[in-house]
Amino acid sequence: MKKPLLTALLFAALPAYAATPLEIQQSYAAEAKQQNPAFKEFSAARGEQFYRAKSAKGSSCAACHTDNPKAEGRHEKTGKAIAPLAPVANSERLTDPAKVEKWFKRNCQDVQGRSCSAQEKGDFIAYLRSVK
Amino acid sequence: MQKILVWDLPTRLFHWLLAAAFAAAWLTAESDTWLALHVFAGYLMLGLVAFRLLWGVIGSRYARFASFRFGPRAAMAYLQETLHGKAKRHIGHNPAGSWAIYGLLGLAVAAGLTGLLTLGGEENHGPFAGLLSYGLGHAFKELHEGLASAMLALVGLHLAGVAVESLLHKENLAKAMVTGCKDGETAQAAASPRRFSAMALLALVLAGGAWQFKGYALETPQQPYRPFVGPTLPDNKVWRAECGACHLAFHPSLLPARSWRRMMAEQDRHFGESLGLDPASTREILDFLENNAADRQLTEAAYKIDRSVPAGETPLRITDTPYWQKKHRGIPAETWRDPKVASKANCAACHLDAEQGTFEDGAMRLPARLGK
Repeated sequence: MKKPLLTALLFAALPAYAATPLEIQQSYAAEAKQQNPAFKEFSAARGEQFYRAKSAKGSSCAACHTDNPKAEGRHEKTGKAIAPLAPVANSERLTDPAKVEKWFKRNCQDVQGRSCSAQEKGDFIAYLRSVK
Repeated sequence: MQKILVWDLPTRLFHWLLAAAFAAAWLTAESDTWLALHVFAGYLMLGLVAFRLLWGVIGSRYARFASFRFGPRAAMAYLQETLHGKAKRHIGHNPAGSWAIYGLLGLAVAAGLTGLLTLGGEENHGPFAGLLSYGLGHAFKELHEGLASAMLALVGLHLAGVAVESLLHKENLAKAMVTGCKDGETAQAAASPRRFSAMALLALVLAGGAWQFKGYALETPQQPYRPFVGPTLPDNKVWRAECGACHLAFHPSLLPARSWRRMMAEQDRHFGESLGLDPASTREILDFLENNAADRQLTEAAYKIDRSVPAGETPLRITDTPYWQKKHRGIPAETWRDPKVASKANCAACHLDAEQGTFEDGAMRLPARLGK
């Protein structure tokens, strides 16, 4: 059985499994190494770039979550409030691996038009963790 | 001849309060926003008529029914005399005016009772809540509207009668209903203005108003007062968490079951986004949606939405249902552009009970009235 699948199954089986943001980031490191043997580490700077960059679909993470991950966001279409992304502003963020994976799945599809690589996810988490 | 007291204070207070209550009820009849006021006006009229029936027995001279007990023939004869300009002047109520009073009292009771039956059937509120179907409630509404129109017509006749009598006998009858005084002999006067009873009546009305509207005084911008609280609808944690993440968790009762089945079947292209729900969540959410869909008629809105959607159609947007469109036709364009509204999907901008899913007619306020 491949490791990402194993990880996914583990997450699915333990939906409320509480973790720290660092633990969740580390779980993506193993997956990243498998996707790319040259993988070294995650970079908050790269994560920030990814957070702000406009995708080929013309959207970005910041479009809904605002330029400041500590701020409350707003759904682009419905206007529904989105709680802050940065753990420093919202302690519930990045504590439920299944929830993190669910939203990566949804939002990568909606913003990028594809799924995100483990490298991108790890960089993204590293960036959010670096926000003070 | 001198100024003598004819109408005691409670009679005058009753008259003007009934007129005000009827005007308020008439003006708020078409508006869901003002339903709480409309219902209060109805209760007020019923209470006032009850008082008047009592006062017709224990009130002062000209307030007593015994002083204006005229048969229909006397009323017709009086009308004919009036048309020929030779009707006799009455200190108290004349025979035709008496019949306007009987009619207005009867219509106020009939309109009030059918109003309560409408409230029970259509809104599931008041003393008849839960005892009537929506359909029966609607039938009573038609009757209620007919009775109210008849009452308005009779008010018109009453006013015409007052005008004609005032000209004929060269006295201002409307003014007499304010001051209570008319020209007459001392022996014809009512014994006393009965101020204490008038104060008691006024205190009762004010207490009733305070009781009915106290919620408005206690509300905060965060917690606007909801004059109508609907039933507690079924809830589901997965549904609320998943569907409520990106938009208001639209209650299942707002679309037919077939719409929800299509919605979940097409979840990979959900209004341009992919939901990516795992199979267990999908199943649980769909079960909840189907079991509480509009077809189940859990609320008035559910009943009316379900009836409005043609059998062959499976709308995915609540805003595509004919009932939604009919109810929102009168909303001005600038209200939709209001930053507090922003989207037609933002039900909670105006519906105070959108989160609960009950969408009570009387729990709706345009943002301008919600405060900044």
